[in-house]
Amino acid sequence: MKTITAYKCNKCGLVMYPYHDRCLNCKGRDFKEIAPTSKGKLLTYTVIEQLPWGMDERGRVLGVVEFDNGVKALGLIKDDAPRIGMKLKVNWEPVREMGGEEIFGLTFVKTK
Amino acid sequence: MDMEVEGYLRPPEMDLPPYPPKVVTLATGGKLIIRQASRADVPILLEAVRPTMKVERDFYDIVGARVYAELLGWYRHRVRDEFCLMGQIDGLLVGVVNTRLYSRELGISLHTLATERGLRIGAHLFAAKMEYSFEYIGQEEVLITAESPIGFRRWMIEYELIEREGQHELGGATPYGLTKELYYKHKDRLVAGERPVPEELLAVAEKEIIVASEDDILEKILGAKRRER
Amino acid sequence: MRPVVVAGVGMIPFERRDEDSLMDMLATAGLNAMDDAGLGDRPIDSVYVGNMASGLFNHQVSVASALVDRLSLLPAAADRVENGPASGGSAIKNGFLAVASGFNDVVLVVGGEKMREVIGPKATDIVACMTHPQAEYIYGVTLPAMAGMFARLYMEKYGVTREHLSMVAIKNQTNGLLNPYAHIQMKITMEGILSHPQSHINSPVVADPIHLYDCCPVSDGAAAVLLTTEEIANKLKKPLVTIDGIGQATDTHTLQERSDPTDLKAVTLASEQAFKMAGIKPKDIDVAELHDAFTILEIAESEHAGFFPKGEGAKALERGETQIGGKLPINPSGGLKARGHPVGATGVAQVVELVWQLRGEAGERQVKGAANGFSLNFGGFGNNVLAFVLRRKS
Repeated sequence: MKTITAYKCNKCGLVMYPYHDRCLNCKGRDFKEIAPTSKGKLLTYTVIEQLPWGMDERGRVLGVVEFDNGVKALGLIKDDAPRIGMKLKVNWEPVREMGGEEIFGLTFVKTK
Repeated sequence: MDMEVEGYLRPPEMDLPPYPPKVVTLATGGKLIIRQASRADVPILLEAVRPTMKVERDFYDIVGARVYAELLGWYRHRVRDEFCLMGQIDGLLVGVVNTRLYSRELGISLHTLATERGLRIGAHLFAAKMEYSFEYIGQEEVLITAESPIGFRRWMIEYELIEREGQHELGGATPYGLTKELYYKHKDRLVAGERPVPEELLAVAEKEIIVASEDDILEKILGAKRRER
Repeated sequence: MRPVVVAGVGMIPFERRDEDSLMDMLATAGLNAMDDAGLGDRPIDSVYVGNMASGLFNHQVSVASALVDRLSLLPAAADRVENGPASGGSAIKNGFLAVASGFNDVVLVVGGEKMREVIGPKATDIVACMTHPQAEYIYGVTLPAMAGMFARLYMEKYGVTREHLSMVAIKNQTNGLLNPYAHIQMKITMEGILSHPQSHINSPVVADPIHLYDCCPVSDGAAAVLLTTEEIANKLKKPLVTIDGIGQATDTHTLQERSDPTDLKAVTLASEQAFKMAGIKPKDIDVAELHDAFTILEIAESEHAGFFPKGEGAKALERGETQIGGKLPINPSGGLKARGHPVGATGVAQVVELVWQLRGEAGERQVKGAANGFSLNFGGFGNNVLAFVLRRKS
């Protein structure tokens, strides 16, 4: 499955996403590219009722997910009753259309 | 008036059930009374509509001119099956909405004109006319369009309006449908109001439909007048 | 560094100003500040314009060059400063450094934004352009959404309730009624926005738990300050108010990379720097203008800036300590909530309000005897923050 690329600092081990040119912790410049694991937990979320121009929908749930390997990322939560701490499984799907083109990103559904 | 000729000119009319008045508590804590306007109320309503016809901002001029014509047409029996609801705060008229029935099943939403801004008066009045169409008249669908961009896309999204074929009665724009099903789906989120209206509140509203001065109406819809320092 | 005086301040009322272009607004605010200082035809060395997104909102760039031309300040140096919603604060910082360093003697700083040229959802999109393009923007994140994710954690951790958020909204809209420059001139009630069973229809969810009345409006507006040396200011007519402290700090671009997303580190650091530079403490402040783009931010910032311990901001609010007449009036101007938030103008408008307060010119909303003021301009979602300490010289 296609997914995001996160970065693990080769010097101090800090896991980062998105990309930084120097480690946020130790200023190191060498990173190992890592993929997030398939599962994670929800750290916080919001239900957006007023989306930007071009997104004709209501009730889009966005949340920050911490994957089991420590990667943290924002994504689209496909669940009507989100709660902090819920276990989620990741997918890579269209999240928005921009200029007639489908943009792919992280989506999440509930899992055990 | 030659009623024999009038008989040919006047469109037929359906009997509509009454719209029971309701009270909406606004963000200010103020009480907005929404109730049905009768034909006899039209001349006073026109006084409040007239100043808006001069305001280009947000297409108030087009909306005002059309509402004026629609209400006058209803008053003098030249519009078929139109109804009008009005909003009052402490007796003061703050907005009118109207719809025309194409048939018992299908409504054509005409206009929402608020002469007080920032209190969601327009939103409450629009919701009230949908409430009347679906809950009291028992319509299946209402066709909607708008001249002003203010909020229209937001309302399309809020009510999940469905794009329909053909032309809307207002200028031939694309009509968007609100179905009975969608109305009930979104009702709790969008339709406010309590019944019965406490007697003393209703008495104030019914005693007199107060129309603000032209200056006050223009000031409200153009934004508050400011003291430059 | 030599002391820097705010010798003149100017503003135009924030509202929806269809009739004015961005340049009309910047020019009027700038002239108001020049006239307030009594500058006459004395030359101005540099002009800094705080503006976030004129290219996107108004299809015009290089607005500082255009402004010096409009104001006939040629050949003054001119720079536009873009730093998101902290553009105004950053412009003042640049103006301050120019005077403090001796590089310039007289500097005009103008902040402005014309946002209502586009409809609401488009403004939401333009403002969202400050988020991370790949890690945030593509998901449809908005600034209210960032505030929603922050508020959910903050409220749970510190026991802040929606009633507290509504109290901020009510307080600031009440203050706004006393400010002729405020966009929103409407008194709201707890019943109308929270406690009535149908209040959710008046104040619908924007990005849960942030509701409509937790958000600042989208406004057009501009504000300006004229900065100069003590020597020149003494020749002008206004009581001296100086910028004694400035702090600025940054934090991660995305919320998710903060080890504790409820910790607004940049607010803490910027405030500490400003207080240290001014040589006074939070308890010495008589009036504060905080960046309440969302009601939760006023509470969180009042704690992170050092006025209250963490978790105590909401309690101080409950006790009325942050009202005009309270121990520390916060946002007597109405804040962003009522004055409005034309993004590039806000940081400047906050300083303008402080100057009026410290001079005793704030009219009905005057905080009695205010001598020390503090303002906080919050950029991004807390990833670039400026703090200012202003003092009246007796």
